[in-house]
Amino acid sequence: MKTGYVCKYTPVELLEAMGAGPVRIDPEVTNFNEADTRMHPNMCSYTKGVLETYVNGDYDGLVLTTCCDSVRRLCDVLKDLYPGKFIFLLDVPRKTDGHAAALYAGQLRGLVSALETYTGRKYEEGELRRILSAQWKAEEDTPGGYETQQQGTVSVGIVGARCPRSLYRELDRKDVHVQFDLTCTGMERGQSLWQGAGRPEEILRAASEGCGACGEAEGLLPAYAAVLLGQLPCMRMADSRARADFLDAHSSGLDGVICHTVKFCDSYSFEYEKLRRENRIQLLKLETDLTAQCEGQISTRVEAFIESLHAQKDGTGENGGEDTGRGPASAESGTGSARGSADTAQGGTGAARKENGMDRIIVMGIDSGSTSTNGVIMDGTGRILAAGSVRTGAGTIDSSAAIREQLLQEAGLTQADILRTVATGYGRAAIPFAGGSVTEISCHARGARYFDPHVMTILDIGGQDSKAIRLNEKGEVTDFVMNDKCAAGTGRFLEAMARTLEVEIGELGPISLQSTEEVEISSMCTVFAESEVISLIAQNKKKADIAHGVHRAIAGKAVALLNRVDPAPAYMMTGGVARNPGVVKAVEEKLHAELFICEQPDIVGAVGAALCALDAAK
Amino acid sequence: MNIAKTYGSWVKSCMEKDPEKAGSRIRRGLHLESFRVRHFSDKRMPKAYRYLNYMAIRLVADALDKPDTLAYINIFAPVEILECFGLTCVSMEALASYLSGFYMEDVLIDRAEALGIAPTLCTYHKNFIGAMDSGILPKPEIGVTTTMVCDGNVNTFRYLQDRFDVPCCVLDIPHSYSPEAEQYVVRQLRELIAALEKKTGRTLDMEELKERLRRENRSKEYYMDFLRKRAVRSYPNTLTLMLFQLFASHLDIGMDWVEKCFRMMDEEIDTYPVSDELRLFWIHVEPYPEPTLRAYLNYGEEVTIAGGDFDLDYTEPLDAEHPLEALARKMICNIYNGDFSRKADAIEKMVQTCKPDGVVEYCHWGCRQSAGGAGLIRERMKKLNVPMLVLDGDAIDRRNTQDGQIRTRFEAFLEVLRQQRKDAE
Repeated sequence: MKTGYVCKYTPVELLEAMGAGPVRIDPEVTNFNEADTRMHPNMCSYTKGVLETYVNGDYDGLVLTTCCDSVRRLCDVLKDLYPGKFIFLLDVPRKTDGHAAALYAGQLRGLVSALETYTGRKYEEGELRRILSAQWKAEEDTPGGYETQQQGTVSVGIVGARCPRSLYRELDRKDVHVQFDLTCTGMERGQSLWQGAGRPEEILRAASEGCGACGEAEGLLPAYAAVLLGQLPCMRMADSRARADFLDAHSSGLDGVICHTVKFCDSYSFEYEKLRRENRIQLLKLETDLTAQCEGQISTRVEAFIESLHAQKDGTGENGGEDTGRGPASAESGTGSARGSADTAQGGTGAARKENGMDRIIVMGIDSGSTSTNGVIMDGTGRILAAGSVRTGAGTIDSSAAIREQLLQEAGLTQADILRTVATGYGRAAIPFAGGSVTEISCHARGARYFDPHVMTILDIGGQDSKAIRLNEKGEVTDFVMNDKCAAGTGRFLEAMARTLEVEIGELGPISLQSTEEVEISSMCTVFAESEVISLIAQNKKKADIAHGVHRAIAGKAVALLNRVDPAPAYMMTGGVARNPGVVKAVEEKLHAELFICEQPDIVGAVGAALCALDAAK
Repeated sequence: MNIAKTYGSWVKSCMEKDPEKAGSRIRRGLHLESFRVRHFSDKRMPKAYRYLNYMAIRLVADALDKPDTLAYINIFAPVEILECFGLTCVSMEALASYLSGFYMEDVLIDRAEALGIAPTLCTYHKNFIGAMDSGILPKPEIGVTTTMVCDGNVNTFRYLQDRFDVPCCVLDIPHSYSPEAEQYVVRQLRELIAALEKKTGRTLDMEELKERLRRENRSKEYYMDFLRKRAVRSYPNTLTLMLFQLFASHLDIGMDWVEKCFRMMDEEIDTYPVSDELRLFWIHVEPYPEPTLRAYLNYGEEVTIAGGDFDLDYTEPLDAEHPLEALARKMICNIYNGDFSRKADAIEKMVQTCKPDGVVEYCHWGCRQSAGGAGLIRERMKKLNVPMLVLDGDAIDRRNTQDGQIRTRFEAFLEVLRQQRKDAE
């Protein structure tokens, strides 16, 4: 028998003792087709992933808990869909006192009896005791508890909701030490179960001896229920203070915390809010829908976070200067840093060398975005020799080659003159001629300070994402947030609106400045907003007013994003959308502050990449 | 000119600099509205609803004026007990609705999201959190929530406790009924009572509590009788009035005025003609700001809401002689708690009582317990041969609902219902 389960409060050992073959479900799906049909698109993504996994898997049973509204409905839907399968819902109390444990023990008895009926196999308490004792012994024999970090690595804790496997892979690739993992089933089972259980030996013995009063052994289940409820609480429990206490007790040697939230699971955003309010550790909020498609998004954010942790640890303030080892040569170095070494992968024979003087060092920065690919050639003094932009189109490789040609031609150089190239942006890993890659977060920080050394807060609105980045006095990234996967409030959104209004994208801004009437565009969803614009056109509203409404809607979203990083002046706006004077004005009005816009706001990321290349070349 | 919107802008204009002033403007606005409702309400509004509307606004305005007896609760909390201690209960859902009535939800929701609260959280909760954070709502004496029906409660009230030092009580309501589950809740109610006795210095008068439960039973009898008559008679209402009805069925249940209100409804309906409108049964909250639905359903001559599941989430009489057990049972056996089949069974029964032409389920943004079961209810309605429409939207945040989409779906549904009537004739 194979029985899926999802929650740490599930009596996994009991299922094992009864031969139910418990398997934790960790969905890694690419779509929610079944779930959206059978439930609703606005259900928690994890729940939807479980439905997809269960429907397409070979599970005989499924034991769920009343951990959240989504899982309750998942159970209803699956019971309806598979009346013959063993689908069982355990009601886990939200309190953990003796009364709650007694109630939960009753639930466990219900499970035992249902399983006995389903499988025809009798529950043997001795078997459960054997499993629990062995698990506790193993836990007791494990030294340490929570390992501290190794030299040279950064150490993070993970909190929040269950993480996608790709996050762990990414952390592993980045050589990041995970000091603890407090997500749903993140903690190792033995540790999770026994660390809060007081005196396990006595618990197990007392249970086997029974209460004596009634002459019958009370059995192991009440004690087991108490042990299950005694685990570190999740955010659905009535009292979750132990999570904060845990962080207090285990923050020594910790560089940062990743707070993972799942789309449409809201509980852990409260944990994030609290950590952020208390401001006690470097924090990354990572929201995913647990699909395989999240991998790129995770990679960018985690990489940028790790860069900032490294920078903080080294105290260099040159967070952007790290080469994170994505390039073919440095990847083999295994150190994660190519600083100070020439990039041999570029076949640099005959190329300029650093001893030839600063002006002879020539580097290139490429920012491969979803809409445009931007590039910069810079010399060792930081002078920009060439800058430009091409449409990304369908291929990252082609567009990066095209921008390289364009830049070389403009600067009158050949590839052999370029000592080093660093790539950034969504497509950064796919650029074959780059010697390394750095995330666009760090690159925008570097680039922004290049144009204005006073910038403290950056708003970057690009083709398909927008981000707010907060810097400290030294120019290090202290916080950043990005919008989610949807294109709300980005360049794509503006393009769609311009198309609907039948104006050129470049005209949208100037037109909106002639607006005389305030028109509300309430939706930020591209599709819905498009239909709103159409209905405004039908109401004979002027293009200028509609465009202004669109810009104000974007500004609202952008300022909300900025507010999440505790913004402070001076402000700079980067990315292609900064070319739109209508958006800039609307953001300034909402922000009550001026935005600095450089002459070519779309090359800021590429400039940052070039500066990173320069660091490495020097 | 939209007076509420203009008034809301006036409140918003001082919110950042002087939240206390903004809060006082909100309270003044509510008092003005209660005055307006009492003296200048729509002539189409039945007398009982005028009374309901007035009381629902007046009591909240008064409660917010006196924070030392104010309790913030969620809609399923046992108000019967709290009121015995002289506390006035205001639900955070009602506050969120009122703030949306002032067109303030945009800034408040944005504020909550800027704190890091998930955009996907129910907007009732986000609106309330944003309002608390901005300082426009008074700090109450106590917060009381149950864990049932909505995941947001535990975290929202924890936020209230953590951020503003409001002592909050969480009542853990088991998923399904058993005598042990009932005792589990009774024990928690006793703890709540002990805490309230300590806090207020008053001792719970068990007789008063029993009397409240008896009044509650009588109130519900009137309401059920009203509903049976409503199956054949007209009784003009609006989306907003349907929401106000939650004050009577939940937030103030057990109070004198509620019994009076339901009795008035039961008597007044006899004076209305036999209904020939298309009759809808409404599942979940009514999105009162939604333009298309307002146009069709507020005093709708062609189509009307003949009943909703929210007012009928627990219809069994309470055993007033054992009040704590009765209240525990009321919470555990609420149709929204437990397996969805319980809710589906109850809705089937209600549909048979109210005899609607069609059923509408409104999937409010962020509410998983409701949205997740939409498919199951649809199956049930198919078996009963009652047409059903599922609408997605947001009952609080105007920016999050697409009227164009609602209009197309709702009008198409009306076409189906009209056709059905025609075929039957």
